[in-house]
Amino acid sequence: MTLMSRRAALLGAAALGCAGLTRPAFAAGSVTAAIYPGAWEEAFREHVAPVLKRQHQIDLEMQGLFAVDQVAKFAASRGAPPFDCFVLDPGPRITAIDRGQFERIDINKLANKAQIPAGMADEWGVATGAQVVGIAYNPKKLPRPTGWDDLLKDPWVSKLGLTGFGTTFGTVSLIELAKVFGGSETNVEPVFTEVKKVLGKVAAVGTPAAMPGLFQQGQCDIMYTNTQTVTTLKDRGVDIEFVAPKTGAVSFITTLHIAKGSTNIDNAYKYIDAAISAPVQKALSEAPYFFVPVNRGVALGAGLPMRSLDEMSRFVTHDWAKINPLRAGWIDRFNREMAK
Amino acid sequence: MGPALPLGLAYLAFFVAPLLMLVAVSFYADDKLTVLGFDNWRKFLFDSFHWKVVTDTLLLGLKAVCATVLLGLPLALVWRGASPFWQRVLLFVAVMPLLTSVVVRTFAWIVILGREGVVNQLVLGLGLAAEPLRLLQTELGLVISLTQIEMPLLLLPLLSVMARFDPNLLDASASLGASPWRTLFKVVLPLVAPGLAAGALLVFASATTAFISQSVIGGGRLVYLPSLVWQQAMINANWPFAAVVAIVLLVSVSAVIAVIALAGRIAGGRVHGAAA
Repeated sequence: MTLMSRRAALLGAAALGCAGLTRPAFAAGSVTAAIYPGAWEEAFREHVAPVLKRQHQIDLEMQGLFAVDQVAKFAASRGAPPFDCFVLDPGPRITAIDRGQFERIDINKLANKAQIPAGMADEWGVATGAQVVGIAYNPKKLPRPTGWDDLLKDPWVSKLGLTGFGTTFGTVSLIELAKVFGGSETNVEPVFTEVKKVLGKVAAVGTPAAMPGLFQQGQCDIMYTNTQTVTTLKDRGVDIEFVAPKTGAVSFITTLHIAKGSTNIDNAYKYIDAAISAPVQKALSEAPYFFVPVNRGVALGAGLPMRSLDEMSRFVTHDWAKINPLRAGWIDRFNREMAK
Repeated sequence: MGPALPLGLAYLAFFVAPLLMLVAVSFYADDKLTVLGFDNWRKFLFDSFHWKVVTDTLLLGLKAVCATVLLGLPLALVWRGASPFWQRVLLFVAVMPLLTSVVVRTFAWIVILGREGVVNQLVLGLGLAAEPLRLLQTELGLVISLTQIEMPLLLLPLLSVMARFDPNLLDASASLGASPWRTLFKVVLPLVAPGLAAGALLVFASATTAFISQSVIGGGRLVYLPSLVWQQAMINANWPFAAVVAIVLLVSVSAVIAVIALAGRIAGGRVHGAAA
């Protein structure tokens, strides 16, 4: 444990210097993709790598990196990208675009382009998975909530599990909660005011990674989360239901991008094409991963609040170019206001 | 020096150099690492919230040390008096937590301390409380779990010192008319002080930096330095500020460790000096 936190900090600093010095050799027929450690890495190793190998004889080399690490590692590499492809959530994606880290993508080069709904691909990247965010509750212990503000009312509030602005889903949920009380995408002040009023009653203020465990153990019976977490818990026999709040479920996409200066662009396109192809998307949408697919050819799981991907255009989305500059301040504020 | 050279070089390359880089990063004023300045140091040092986080982190370590010593020392005394067979059993039980990953141990404590956990079922079942006790996401719960998680780190050095001291000293103390309590405080404790200090030091260092336990058991309302480092580095992408927090963690924990080590040496030295 001593090493864990220290190592995390040191690695960060070391990555700055070392990333520029070492660059994996790109063997002919390979592509290097940054990927989130954990479920994403496992899922892509299991389902994307074999397809890429079988169809194009391309070896997929993965680097397990969180979004912030990808952006920082690229910045430190000064023109010699440490990987060919990024995988990013909306916030870091905007940062990377601002810093000129992507090659433009020509969607016409993707065989699966017709299967990707509008809004899920642009000049910078293509979605590889979506997240649908709303309220999850235990139907055996609580009545069904209808809106975000129910979270702060009885009987739900005393069973509420809160998380802060540390994740994309947490941030967008708190923004939606703020909107109910007169706030907006750039004004989350009402969240602090309203949550403070009921903080003593709230069952748990947890770190995002701990929330599924806390729900499973009955520490909290209602929380905001994505459908993926709900389906995964349900799959393990937990009593949990997803509710799209009356102001609308929130959606955002996780996108693949080609790194600026990649010398392996053809293979990068093949990687992206494989990741969004119907068979791969179908496999990723099933147990144990339960990703929300981005390919129209994949049937949607029963736990999702829409029957087709095109319906997602009605969901609430956010402008991360506006959120990014404010978020660090919100996180700091959350630390201070919630601290015991 | 010869045989130690490879290790020395490895330390230089993989420990000292990154540490120096960490210090260098902390003196950047912006998160893109382009402008030098003391801004992030000022931001940390002139904000009472950050000092509260430092204090809470160090206090957490001290509480974990007190709890492990209070429980570990009697256990070590029992171990000393036990037969070789029971000594082996006790040692195995003491070390067992090390055999599972800290993540597993931490999540096990969610199951134990939760609203519907083992402790609360017992308390409610016995009618000791009408409502489930709030143990998870409190400092008390965190100290309880850290006590179990860090216990082997205290016991291992303590037992090795405990095994070495001359049993005749206890008989001598008794035959000179000292009560068992007096023997404990005047003979046993000074003799095992170096082991106790070494164990306390490990527990302190480990508990103050126990990122997983602190965030999972402690939750979002208890902010400690390691989670602040993570937040700043991985979510806000503010590496200079994360570097400042990491250095503060390193320096403050090292300072307390130096004090514990000194106390152990003084206590040990006094006895061994007197014996000589």
